[in-house]
Amino acid sequence: TRKEILRLFYRYRDLAPQLVPLDYTNHPDVKLPYELIGSMPELKDNPFRQRIAEVFSEDGEGNMTLDDFLDMFSVLSEMAPRDLKAYYAFKIYDFNNDDFICKSDLEKTLNKLTRNELTEDEVRMVCEKVIDEADLDNDGRLSLEDFQHMIVRAPDFLSTFHIRI
Amino acid sequence: MTSYRNGGFFNPAYHDTETLEIDRRASSKTHHTNPYDNQDPTWWGDRASNDDAIGRVPQGGWQEESWRGRENIPMDAISIRPRSPPRHHGPNHSISGMDSEYNQSRSIPLPSSSGNMTMRWRGIAMRRMSMFPDADHTQTAFTEDAIWNEMQNEQQNLLEELAALSTRDRIKAIRDLPMSFKEKKHIRKELELQSSRKSRQFTCLADCSEKLSLFSRKCGYHVKSAKQTLELWQGAMKSIGGKFGTSVLTYFVFLKWLLMFNIFSFLVNFGFVTIPLLVYKHTPNISQNVNNVPQNVTFRGLEILTGVGYFKYTVMYYGSYSNGALVGYNMQLAYFFTIAVYMVLCGISLIYSMSVNFKNNYVLADSASNSAWQLLCTWDFSVTNEKAVKQRRNNLCVQLKESLSETAQQERLTVSEKLKHYGIHFGCWLLSTSLAFGCAAGIYFLCKYEHKVLLQTTNTANWSLLDEAKTLLVPFVVSLINLVIPLFYSLFNKFEHYSTHRKQIYALLIRNVFLKMSILSVLCYYWMNKVPAKDPCWESTVGQSLYRLVLFDFLFLMLGSFFGEFLSNVIGTKLIPRMGVPEFDVARNVLELIYSQTLAWIGIYFSPLLPAMQILKFLILFYLKKVSLTHNCQPPRRSGRAAQMQTIFIFLLFFPFFVGALSIVAYTAWSLTPSEGCGPFRGLNNSFTAVDVWIDDLKNVTGSQWVIEIYSNVILSEIFYFLITLIILVIIYILWQVTNGRKELIRRLRQQIVNEGKDKSFLLERLQDLQKSLPNKTTKQKKQKGSMKQHSDDHSSGDQSNSNAMVQALLARQQLEEEEKRYSIGGVPVPSEMSNSSPLMQAMLARQLADQENEDQYPMRDENPSSSSALAQAMAARNRVEDEENNQYDVFNRSSAVTQAMQARRRAEDTDDDMGDLPHPVSNVMMQVMQARQQAQEDDRIQWMTAPPQNPGPSGSSALIQAMLARQEAQNEYDDGY
Repeated sequence: TRKEILRLFYRYRDLAPQLVPLDYTNHPDVKLPYELIGSMPELKDNPFRQRIAEVFSEDGEGNMTLDDFLDMFSVLSEMAPRDLKAYYAFKIYDFNNDDFICKSDLEKTLNKLTRNELTEDEVRMVCEKVIDEADLDNDGRLSLEDFQHMIVRAPDFLSTFHIRI
Repeated sequence: MTSYRNGGFFNPAYHDTETLEIDRRASSKTHHTNPYDNQDPTWWGDRASNDDAIGRVPQGGWQEESWRGRENIPMDAISIRPRSPPRHHGPNHSISGMDSEYNQSRSIPLPSSSGNMTMRWRGIAMRRMSMFPDADHTQTAFTEDAIWNEMQNEQQNLLEELAALSTRDRIKAIRDLPMSFKEKKHIRKELELQSSRKSRQFTCLADCSEKLSLFSRKCGYHVKSAKQTLELWQGAMKSIGGKFGTSVLTYFVFLKWLLMFNIFSFLVNFGFVTIPLLVYKHTPNISQNVNNVPQNVTFRGLEILTGVGYFKYTVMYYGSYSNGALVGYNMQLAYFFTIAVYMVLCGISLIYSMSVNFKNNYVLADSASNSAWQLLCTWDFSVTNEKAVKQRRNNLCVQLKESLSETAQQERLTVSEKLKHYGIHFGCWLLSTSLAFGCAAGIYFLCKYEHKVLLQTTNTANWSLLDEAKTLLVPFVVSLINLVIPLFYSLFNKFEHYSTHRKQIYALLIRNVFLKMSILSVLCYYWMNKVPAKDPCWESTVGQSLYRLVLFDFLFLMLGSFFGEFLSNVIGTKLIPRMGVPEFDVARNVLELIYSQTLAWIGIYFSPLLPAMQILKFLILFYLKKVSLTHNCQPPRRSGRAAQMQTIFIFLLFFPFFVGALSIVAYTAWSLTPSEGCGPFRGLNNSFTAVDVWIDDLKNVTGSQWVIEIYSNVILSEIFYFLITLIILVIIYILWQVTNGRKELIRRLRQQIVNEGKDKSFLLERLQDLQKSLPNKTTKQKKQKGSMKQHSDDHSSGDQSNSNAMVQALLARQQLEEEEKRYSIGGVPVPSEMSNSSPLMQAMLARQLADQENEDQYPMRDENPSSSSALAQAMAARNRVEDEENNQYDVFNRSSAVTQAMQARRRAEDTDDDMGDLPHPVSNVMMQVMQARQQAQEDDRIQWMTAPPQNPGPSGSSALIQAMLARQEAQNEYDDGY
């Protein structure tokens, strides 16, 4: 809604008051660098913050325009449909951008989540198990369809893939 | 359609087109006849002309790091392969998806937009990503143009598709698109343009309806934004969610939800029952009739706790409501209907939210994929606190390790151990049940005792303080039991050994619910059966005891959170560090909420303003719990499935508690005689008689005959209820059957997906095996023929081979399209990977083949015919596969096609023998292929007349294998031909 957009705009502007003009009627071309985006309190402690910024930014490096910023929070809001959320979540987990969550992606995810506290063996076993459970077509990696299928069966996802502003 | 397109591809003239400009022009002429044909030749043709940029452009942009060295992937670098082809064919696949839908939307309405959405938006996203190629600027001018062209086309399709939807669907669909804000805006604008163009042709009526719908949408939007402003505790919720995660948040969401119930109830009761009474009371000339406060009753302070004395004469309780019709206002009816409507509304909203929750969280949920879920879905993106993040990481670590060790051990319990476990379970259950019964019996006797004591002092108006304090005994004991016994229960739980955490929680929940139910039922029994006999104004007495219970419950909740959380925090941090900081027990706390809400529901008849108290209670409780949580607790160690727990809570709230409260209120209203001396229903047999009286009154009013008719024929007749019950039972039975059928269907589809995957992996393996044997030969041949390499041929041969690849890809795409169409005709939104895998396979194979061809094209120009023939054969084989997929349910046809393929292969083998003679076998193969193709087409035609097939899985795969083998054979032969 209008109110939310406005609030987001102010949040966006607060990140860099000197960069972002108040008046957006002329569509100025402003981009906030990733360092600023990643320092938002909502993202600061998120292990996936860099991926989130990369996925939602147009240049793929985490530098965001206002539109990207709005996009990000609209996907992460309560209103976003499940499929859309699943799509972006998939992209966030897909570290090497190959449209599949393969083992290396899973390992990266796991390391981000646990801060390298598991041994290599354990990491491998967990990844194998994940693929074993979620991979429906047995190709050894998770496609978007696999992922969506898993999301459908995990109702908590909708509430956890959600950032309040 | 298939044959038509095939014709296009097999047209030899097409392959010879050197300048793609022509191609484009031709295609732009036929823009609307077949969008499929016009966009792809350009696309692929451009690839052909810019040999160098082939690989880069489509994959450029967002995937820079992954396009390295794609053009010339050597044949044996198979490990890269499985990853690359789908990306490569991503655009195709999406186009076909789009087109099939587009074509179809002319003839039949889209079966389910959500099902198709996935495919579509995936493709779009890919297109978007590949829109900005940052490769080779010298060559991109041309290709960019082509891409742009294609994008335009696609957007056109999308727009038309969206325009076909209704406004609401359209908004939803646009929201679903994985595009950036800007692009959505653009599409929306385009759509508006289109619709405005269209609507100009419409009549005034359509215009009006358009405006109306726009207006209503705007209204809804405003309401929504207003609701957002009114949203309670947004910041608080955020901070709680940030620190403790979603599972703890459910408690607060639940609390808020209950608060809403109470606010509504309070507003209704206050508005329809209390305000008229107050207004009426202050009309001076009738004020004598009303039960005014006796002079000697004063406010002493203890009343706040006990609810007797002064309070008894206020509007708090049933007793002080008058029975007379106030000026134009029938108090009896108002009282009756307010409570009835409130209860019904509560029930409906409970059932609704329960069913929605159930659908989302249970029916679709599947406990099978535990660790996948743990890894990919548990991360709580709303957590923002650094400490919480750290803790969460540790917890996740521990959980993953646990689940690993569980799978590693999978210990087999001996019989004696099992028996021991069962014994402990049994003992615990026995103990907890007997505890609950004991508590209930104790409360019953206590109530009796209290009543006896209180009856001795008959005049309630001049009670001593001690007498008043005696009334507090029962609520005190009840609340104490509610506080202490659950602690015992959790103690039992520690001794028991449950296989899963979930079972443990359920056992705890069931015991607690049982305890609360037994206590409440004893109390209600006492109120319903014992009190009315002895008390002149028993409803007020019951109201008072409920008031006391609610109040004490509140006090004990505060005490509980103080002792339970604060003290154990102090102990955990200061005295015994081993115990650690307590966790916030969501289940116990929610049960407490449910219990207190049940009290409020029961009390609504006896004390209409009890919701006001409840509101206060919940408001204070929210802040109290929040403070206690942030200071004393740590996030729960196990991240349970919060959504499912919430469903269980709502279910519990509905089933034993709300239904129980409803039945008690209904029993009171229908069967118990209201007290003679006070209340709105004095002098009636039961409360429901008020409606009877009203209907009798209505008989005198003309024009109200229908009300009476309805009343006597519907409300009072048993047959009506009988019929309703019967109909509901029948509907339930039918739905149950449908559900069973669906379950079976889901099971089968899942099996099919698995089968498909197996086929795919098998084919891949097969391919790898065959290719391992190949490279030796090809290298040898290269050595032989290397000297004959001619530079001038490079271009044209590359062109041709690429056009071959193009044909391949197109075929694959076509097949995919067919499949898609079939699925959408079937109307079942099948998980799309099913339809994907085999065409993907095809496309992959095609690419591989093309690559190989590409390699071989360079050395020899005169190889072209033979290679194209091999290709043709492959194509034919694939075609056959396609056809077979159409008619696989027809075993007869299929087997004939299969034999055909077999024959073709055998003959190809035969041609293998006379290696030296090149032209002959080639033409032979060609002939063969053409025959096969014709045959296949005939089959195809036959099949098209019959119903669309249903079951593409298994037989398709066998055909696939056939096709592969055939192709491989052709390949071999071609290689040997050198």
